[in-house]
Amino acid sequence: MSNMMSAADASTMPELKSDQLFINLGPQHPSTHGVLRIGLTINGEVIVKAVPDIGYLHRGTEKLAEVRNYHHCVVLTDRWDYVSAMPNNLVFCLAAEKLMGVKATPRADALRVIMCEMNRVASHLLFFGTYGIDLGAYTPFLYAFREREMVLDLFEMICGARLTYNYIRLGGVMVDASPEWLARTGEFVEYFKPRLDEYDTLLTYNPIFMARTEGVGIVTAKEAVDWALSGPNLRGSGVNHDVRKTDPYCGYENYDFDVPLGKTGSCWDRYFCRVSEMRQSIRIIEQAIAKLPAGPFMSPGVAKIPKPAPGESYAHVEASRGDLGIYLASDGGISPFRMHVHAPSFINLAMLQEKLVGMKVSDVIALLGSIDIVLGEVDR
Amino acid sequence: MTNDEIFAKIQAKFPKIEKAAVPVKDYLTVRLASPADLVSFSQWLKDSSFDMLETVTATDLLGPVDMKGFIRQQNFNPFLPEGATPQIEAAATAGYPYKPAMDLLYVFYSVTEKARVFARLEIAREGVSVPSLVPLFKSADWQERETFDLLGIRFDGHPNLIKILTPDFTVGHPLRKDYAHVKDRFDE
Repeated sequence: MSNMMSAADASTMPELKSDQLFINLGPQHPSTHGVLRIGLTINGEVIVKAVPDIGYLHRGTEKLAEVRNYHHCVVLTDRWDYVSAMPNNLVFCLAAEKLMGVKATPRADALRVIMCEMNRVASHLLFFGTYGIDLGAYTPFLYAFREREMVLDLFEMICGARLTYNYIRLGGVMVDASPEWLARTGEFVEYFKPRLDEYDTLLTYNPIFMARTEGVGIVTAKEAVDWALSGPNLRGSGVNHDVRKTDPYCGYENYDFDVPLGKTGSCWDRYFCRVSEMRQSIRIIEQAIAKLPAGPFMSPGVAKIPKPAPGESYAHVEASRGDLGIYLASDGGISPFRMHVHAPSFINLAMLQEKLVGMKVSDVIALLGSIDIVLGEVDR
Repeated sequence: MTNDEIFAKIQAKFPKIEKAAVPVKDYLTVRLASPADLVSFSQWLKDSSFDMLETVTATDLLGPVDMKGFIRQQNFNPFLPEGATPQIEAAATAGYPYKPAMDLLYVFYSVTEKARVFARLEIAREGVSVPSLVPLFKSADWQERETFDLLGIRFDGHPNLIKILTPDFTVGHPLRKDYAHVKDRFDE
């Protein structure tokens, strides 16, 4: 009886205390898009402490590269960011080509640009669809996957694979694009342009979606630079940094495109950057197809088993998730002496431990989804 | 700012820092003399607009990688005749200066100047630690943990220097060239 009395007293007291609760988000939670575990300590609905736990998908590609030759290593790269593997292929090839002193042909460069931008569209469509699901909108997913299938079909048509392409090779690309393929890609571009406006009506300016994302998970420009974020996560905070503009590769300086920037750095800004980037990618693909140079698609003089002279090189590209870089060191042997991957997902994810504190549990999914990680790249 | 201008500025402030003998191709690469310089150099870079620490990593210069670090039969090839050597075995290259040392690599980026500085720092393989850059750059947090996990380099002053990628039962640091795999519960 006295217990009940004191309980009643406690409920009327202003400094009502509740116990903290530890919950595991993941590693099999659908909203983590892979095997990510976050140990959350919560007080009611508010997060007190967040400990991201990664490594479930660690395959040691940097170690594996040490006993493979340079052509073999391209196969490993597909498995980092498996929803946009073309930039992975590209960045390794750029670093190895720098080391070997080889340059890709103009036609190969243009094909690489087309592939990377198509892959960016496919990757951002995946983000667009799954982010909607994370926040309770199922329909956009069906629309996004309808178009993503078309991109994957085009990839399958040219290289036979839908996700792990191994299409971009040292010195060029695997096969040339046939006129039929280029025509089909042109058709897709025409089909896709009006779809982007459809997405905006479906999700971008949907009041429920905006209420869940606008003003949530704000990352200021200063914080974003401090955490070394890259890609849409950095640009969502208004920092104008795009490798395609600042350190152009594959002739990106010859294409006319804009870099969409966010204003406040909220989840909605990051989302909006990605959706706007798809428009720009489509512009680049159109230009690249229109002025695709003739000529060989593979430069001569790439050895079957390359043995670059001792040296070091670094190449980086604007991959779908940010600034993807490869540091390669050669000791003159047939395998890289050291390969280091500067993986944007890994670096973008690091801010989670600090940013989640003080947020509500339902906003965890909104923030995590807006960072757009791929666990294959986080764990490598 | 061109690379030469940046290097002239660095030289004016830190006369001991020189260009690396083997540069990272196309980028300004400097070599720090000792771990003691690291924090003051990074602080100065941060104050002079290089406010993004892009990469923290290291290379083990010990020699060719030990094949005992790979779990499966190396380069399994069913078409290889009995007793033939596999296609790839890590082998030393004549003339390459292998040495028992760790070569750290830091990449600083300036968003406003759009320029990069690659800084290298050589330390002994055992018993030496480097000051952590976490108080200056938050991005160093996970990358230093990764470097610790994979290469076994200790960072002094890191708030949470624990394993990040490999499982708890992994013995040793896989990217060290002399790493040998110890059988665990996932081996048959």
